[in-house]
Amino acid sequence: MRSLLLAGLLAVPGAAHVGSPDVFHEGLAGPYRLLVTIRPPVVIPGVAEIEIRAATPDVREVRITPLPVTGPGVKFAPTPDLAQRSTHDPQFFTGSLWMMAFGSWQVRVEVDGEKGKGQLAVPVPALALRTQGMQLALGAGLFALMMVLAVGVVSIVAASVREAQLDPGAEPSPSHRRRGRIATGVTAALMVALLYLGNQWWNAEAGAYSRYVYKPLRIEPSLESGARLLLRISDPGRFASRKIDDFIPDHGHLMHLFLVRLPEIERLWHLHPEQTASGLFAHDLPPIPAGRYQIFADVVHQSGFAETMVAEIDLPAIAGRPLSGDDSTGSGPPLSQASKDRLAADLPGGGRLVWERGNEPLKTRQTTWFRFRAEDAAGKPAGDLELYMGMPGHAAFIRSDRSVFAHVHPSGSAPMAAVNLVQIQPVPGQTDHSAHAMRQALPAVVSFPYGFPQSGDYRIFVQVKRAGRVDTAVFDARVEP
Amino acid sequence: MSAVAAPPVDKTTTAAIPWHLWCAALAVTSAMIGVHWDISWHRSIGRDTFWTPAHIAIYLCGVLAGISCGYLILSTTFGRNGATGGAAVKIWGFRGPLGAFICAWGGIAMLTSAPFDDWWHNTYGLDVKILSPPHIVLALGIVSIELGALILILGAMNRASGDLRGKLEWFFLYVAGMVLVALLVVFAEHIHRVALHTARMYRTVSLLVPLVLAGVALASRKRWSSTMVVAVYTAFLLGLEWILPLFPAEPKLGPVYVPVKQFVPPGFPLLILAPALALDLLRPKLESRRRWLQAAVAGAVFLGVLVLVEWPFANFLMTPGARNWVFGSHWLDYATHPNSYSARHQFVPLEKTAMEFWIGMGGALAAAILSTRLGLAWGGWMQRLRR
Repeated sequence: MRSLLLAGLLAVPGAAHVGSPDVFHEGLAGPYRLLVTIRPPVVIPGVAEIEIRAATPDVREVRITPLPVTGPGVKFAPTPDLAQRSTHDPQFFTGSLWMMAFGSWQVRVEVDGEKGKGQLAVPVPALALRTQGMQLALGAGLFALMMVLAVGVVSIVAASVREAQLDPGAEPSPSHRRRGRIATGVTAALMVALLYLGNQWWNAEAGAYSRYVYKPLRIEPSLESGARLLLRISDPGRFASRKIDDFIPDHGHLMHLFLVRLPEIERLWHLHPEQTASGLFAHDLPPIPAGRYQIFADVVHQSGFAETMVAEIDLPAIAGRPLSGDDSTGSGPPLSQASKDRLAADLPGGGRLVWERGNEPLKTRQTTWFRFRAEDAAGKPAGDLELYMGMPGHAAFIRSDRSVFAHVHPSGSAPMAAVNLVQIQPVPGQTDHSAHAMRQALPAVVSFPYGFPQSGDYRIFVQVKRAGRVDTAVFDARVEP
Repeated sequence: MSAVAAPPVDKTTTAAIPWHLWCAALAVTSAMIGVHWDISWHRSIGRDTFWTPAHIAIYLCGVLAGISCGYLILSTTFGRNGATGGAAVKIWGFRGPLGAFICAWGGIAMLTSAPFDDWWHNTYGLDVKILSPPHIVLALGIVSIELGALILILGAMNRASGDLRGKLEWFFLYVAGMVLVALLVVFAEHIHRVALHTARMYRTVSLLVPLVLAGVALASRKRWSSTMVVAVYTAFLLGLEWILPLFPAEPKLGPVYVPVKQFVPPGFPLLILAPALALDLLRPKLESRRRWLQAAVAGAVFLGVLVLVEWPFANFLMTPGARNWVFGSHWLDYATHPNSYSARHQFVPLEKTAMEFWIGMGGALAAAILSTRLGLAWGGWMQRLRR
């Protein structure tokens, strides 16, 4: 059996997602509906940018506070910051917050308005995502100043030896000048040594910091007995407190695994492996054709800290068991035949899903509502949508080179398990997995808030549940810078 | 040929202290108030902007030093005799007192540290520690301005006589005290309350303090110079310790582990007044001896007396009896984790074994001796400084 692991090959860190660190969350702060976007800093401590859009014009004031999700730091909140109301859009507020330590954080949003007060909390991972080099101009400027300072020291020491002890007006003698030259040589040598030691120190500090740059948990996939997928988790060792067996259920499952067929990304399986031992997950695969597959595996730690593990695996043709439970699959045209103009996708269960896209071009770092309307065979809004794992829909945004992967719900990109941890009152229907079974009729339109982290071509897999059956539609998007 | 002119001495022995020396002394005071206020700001409020009062006090140091030293260098270079009466050294075509050039160097270092520090924050995060490369560049800048001011005053002092010399000696001791404050604040992490039983603390203090005390004692020739210099440090720190908590402050950053309501002061000053007094008492007996012998005896006495007073006092600082406004052991940063040594009022066991500790203390003794010897050499050089 040939199985190949290429974990981390494409992993641009982004905690709960891959290459997509921004958090989008829609929720209620008391009587006010808010869409919150949090752009975490790339270094810690660093500044997170917060954007809040109120759905209604009755919000007077928004205050924001950063807090850890767990631990003694939750007890005392720092003074909340007043978010600034946009002069162009009175329902849009912005602010920035310092994230001072690594780990699982939350941004608490307090709203005051015509209907009284309300509060909402949004989980956000605080991670060092990269280190950066120095810009050439800044480097050149600093180098020049360093040289001025170094030569300045040499000149000052030489002058102090040569003439500082002479009476005012006296000229230095040849012996004073000779001593000045000796001082120049000795000080210059000392400066070179000091600069060398300074450079060593800088390298050591940079090296220490680079060890803090986030590395997601590793996952090693293999195949057992021809059809059973084993996923062995290991820690690359950054976080001393990170565990590989403290996961909490998100939508009723410890792991959400997305298996994406390569290289055309035309088919996706949404599976839910079970934890069989500490750091070991397993799943009996459904029928799958032979080929190479990308794995994105979402888990949420007890602290609310979510991670997406990535790997690739070559699979033989698998007869497998039929899909069961919450597992699902769906397909679309191959990536090479993708059409950015195709805004409707036929659903295997009949009818179609229509992307209400609008005419505006999609741009990076712009929080956008992705709205999809389910229609029945007659072209009318479908009346048979149900909750799928507690949500009206699930969407996976995948960049064509797989450098970006985000698993998004109508409530946003934060995992519900983490959202529930930070809420003062649990969100109804999102912790109680029995609600999944309820066949309650939902609106025909499913919306997802998301913003693309970088330009390029993306594939969007949208999953809805209709009359007990999970349907998957595939759309394509080009995102401009 | 060296001396070609009669050594001009300041004509008036009762003259007032020149304005540029007042300016320099004000600059060093402003810098030290600013630095301590800024550290307290980060420990109490956490977040700051470019225009906090603490930052302005630090920038004011650069402005005041720039005005006084810029005037001195430009007037000496382009004027006939300028403000210095020819008491100038020549560097890069400019002429001016040595201290003015050292101050100018400090100003450039402070300027350099700003973009460096900004880049550092953007690359490695906001450094919440004092000892980082850009902070060291800033510290070098500030210490250089302090040293420049000291040398500036010293040049004037050595050229003066009578009342003016007397006044300048006091000025010199005050600025020397500020130099001590500056050196010790750079290593504030080493001399924190929880580190007072580490060999590293004794090594750091032995490396910095005897250097200043020995040098200043030789240069000033005041009988109680060491005591006075350390008294300036002690009074300054006590002032901060008792004044800062009078002002309200609350954390604007999380995680908040301690609900801080006021500015957190720097902590009770080190009891270096005792070894300073011992050095002053000892000096008349040592003055005629060889410098290495002076250094060996004075260094050992300094460290010995420091251990005798600081070690038991550190024990006291960890007790409930010290958790009051006088000793301030109850003031904790907002980010003091409940499991930290500070919150639990325990000493950091930095040296893991007794052997490691005693090797460290041996290093402290060597540092005290070496530092004293360097201070004596520096003091001798300062005695002869004329420009």
